Amino acid sequence: MEIDRDALMPVFLAESDEMLALLEESLLALEDTPDDGESVATIFRCAHTLKGNAESIGFVAITECAHALESALDALRKRRVVASHDFVSLLLDAHDVLRSLLRIAGDGGDPSLDDHRDLVERLTQLGDAHAIEPSIAARAATSDAPTRGHDAASRRTMRVDLRTLDRILTATGELSIARARLRGAMEGVTNAETWDALLDTDRLFAELRDHVMRLRLVPVGPAFRAQVRAVRDLAAAHGKRARVVIEGHDVEVDTSVVDALRAPLTHMIRNAIDHGLEAPSDRRAAGKNPVGTIALRARHEAGRLVVEVSDDGAGLRRERILARARAQGLVSGDGVALRDRDVFDLVLAPGFSTREEVTDLSGRGVGMDVVARSVQALKGTITLESVENHGTTITIRVPLTLSIIDGFAVTAAEQTYVIPLESVRECLELPEGEGRHDDGSGVVRVRGEALPYVRLRDLFALRGGEAPARESVVIVEHDGGRAGLAVDALCGESQAVVKPLDKLLRSVDAITGSTILGDGRVALILDVPAILAEAMRRQRRGTQGARA
Amino acid sequence: MSSNGNSPKSQYLTFFVADTAYAIAVLRVREVIEPAPITRVPSTPRAVRGVINLRGSVVPVVDLGARFDLAERVLTKRTCIVLVEVTVDGEGEAAVIGILVDAVDQVVELAADQIEAVPPFGTHVRLDFLSGMGVVGTGFVLLLNVDSVLSTPDLLAVAALRDARSHAEAS
Repeated sequence: MEIDRDALMPVFLAESDEMLALLEESLLALEDTPDDGESVATIFRCAHTLKGNAESIGFVAITECAHALESALDALRKRRVVASHDFVSLLLDAHDVLRSLLRIAGDGGDPSLDDHRDLVERLTQLGDAHAIEPSIAARAATSDAPTRGHDAASRRTMRVDLRTLDRILTATGELSIARARLRGAMEGVTNAETWDALLDTDRLFAELRDHVMRLRLVPVGPAFRAQVRAVRDLAAAHGKRARVVIEGHDVEVDTSVVDALRAPLTHMIRNAIDHGLEAPSDRRAAGKNPVGTIALRARHEAGRLVVEVSDDGAGLRRERILARARAQGLVSGDGVALRDRDVFDLVLAPGFSTREEVTDLSGRGVGMDVVARSVQALKGTITLESVENHGTTITIRVPLTLSIIDGFAVTAAEQTYVIPLESVRECLELPEGEGRHDDGSGVVRVRGEALPYVRLRDLFALRGGEAPARESVVIVEHDGGRAGLAVDALCGESQAVVKPLDKLLRSVDAITGSTILGDGRVALILDVPAILAEAMRRQRRGTQGARA
Repeated sequence: MSSNGNSPKSQYLTFFVADTAYAIAVLRVREVIEPAPITRVPSTPRAVRGVINLRGSVVPVVDLGARFDLAERVLTKRTCIVLVEVTVDGEGEAAVIGILVDAVDQVVELAADQIEAVPPFGTHVRLDFLSGMGVVGTGFVLLLNVDSVLSTPDLLAVAALRDARSHAEAS
């Protein structure tokens, strides 16, 4: 019996999770269109399925809570109540309680309704607990059957543990490395049959890798829809009204990217409601719809995922941002000459916040800088656009996958390093003795433009081998900033499977991860933004030293 | 073997670092490999020799010489990397860390009565790195407490201390 339950638990939890997500989504839809019979049917079906599943596995509290929810829904079906804001709020509360009970069950605990008696009581009062007709439940269940059957026929699916996908991806990466090694070992082999076999393997491998990458793609929709509830609750808490528009919910991206985007999304939406949207009366006075709109859009663009969060609120106020930035010493001078774009970027600076009072919504001046940092960690970029009184749009661009990058390999002091190819602009020979400081940094002239550079040997204090007479410089760019990185030699482009570093090594500056080279050695992946910052810093120190 | 056979026995892998014999419980040893090419990682503690590719996983390697405040080990034909399982603090998941040793010796069986307490002096290794002294034949082996030798916070703290010291000297 116990064994059966253990085996059923993962399925029960996964299915309940899905049911709750659908339940929440339908409740929010119901609030928008209170007469929507379909939403009511879906909500009923979810509650009923949850109840049945919980009952079969023996979670009394969950069964009871789902039953109370059913009772309240029955009142709605019989039109004894209307789907008002308060009614939907009550049902959403029930959803939250169910979710917390499930979490307890998932953690191996025994969920109890003791803390939620009030809620169950109120739900039960709405409907008459005893008046639930079995036929309704039965109808709800049967109305569900055809759609499910249809789904099953058109698309057979199965659940896979994410760790299994990770392992498949790792194995695919290993295969790619082994393949490169094989190719290297075949130098000088002239046997046509051997080469044919290798080319066949190459082709099949490329196909396999595409499938594996596609396997990990999930639509951004659920992550977007999860925000709908947050918008509703937050806006209500602040006496504002807002609706959410979602575009591109079926745009697909690697599952790890979606997970990493959840927190920044929440922050941006909190900001849009707290700082962006005005109170309904102000909006009316400005001739706007009293209900604000927050739009979440996703699309693919040049191999990257683009996510936009825009609101039709007050917009960023240039003067207020500048005043704040001056107070915090973020700008030199009065900043009047700054372009709008540069002024808006100040909002992303650590600790920046124009709201004087601390709100529970966006916290203590922690806001956009957190978003900026999370996006940076994803190797993405963030831009702000805003028109006063018309609203603000924040655009995030992140890579579609975190697992495989196009890399450019270089060597310094007999070690190989990989630079993400997207940041590499060009490579040139380092002219001898050009503007070099003692710490190995200097200035290199590229078509008339003076760029600071730093030597990788000096940056990492590398020992090993002599620097060649002629070093090379890789010009890297990030966020509009450019700098050179002097290395011993260039090795060229290749795909790199990113391997996370052990906790012991995670605090290392200027390294974002590691990868395994064709010859089996480990190479470190360089953190371009960190290197740029260091080159600029040394440059400033160098010029100051020269002046002194 | 030499003991009376009444007390429970455990197996230990013995190896040498700077001519001193040490031992680790075999239950903690995943495998012993010949040194793979080690990639240095900049600005890590001196005791972290670098990382290796262990069949596709990137595994850190700790230089036991540097960890014991002796000279970094020089690679020879007998140098080995012993891959040890450690529990990552608070995460409950086992991680693998390699330790660089001069040579691996043998697997010995030690009964509880063959293990003695570590004397508070006479060894140049920090006492909290040791869990006891094993009597093997006519000699001793120092039994290592793997968790404290390879403790991440401790390894990093040592590095931070050294940084602070070198900054102080520089200024």
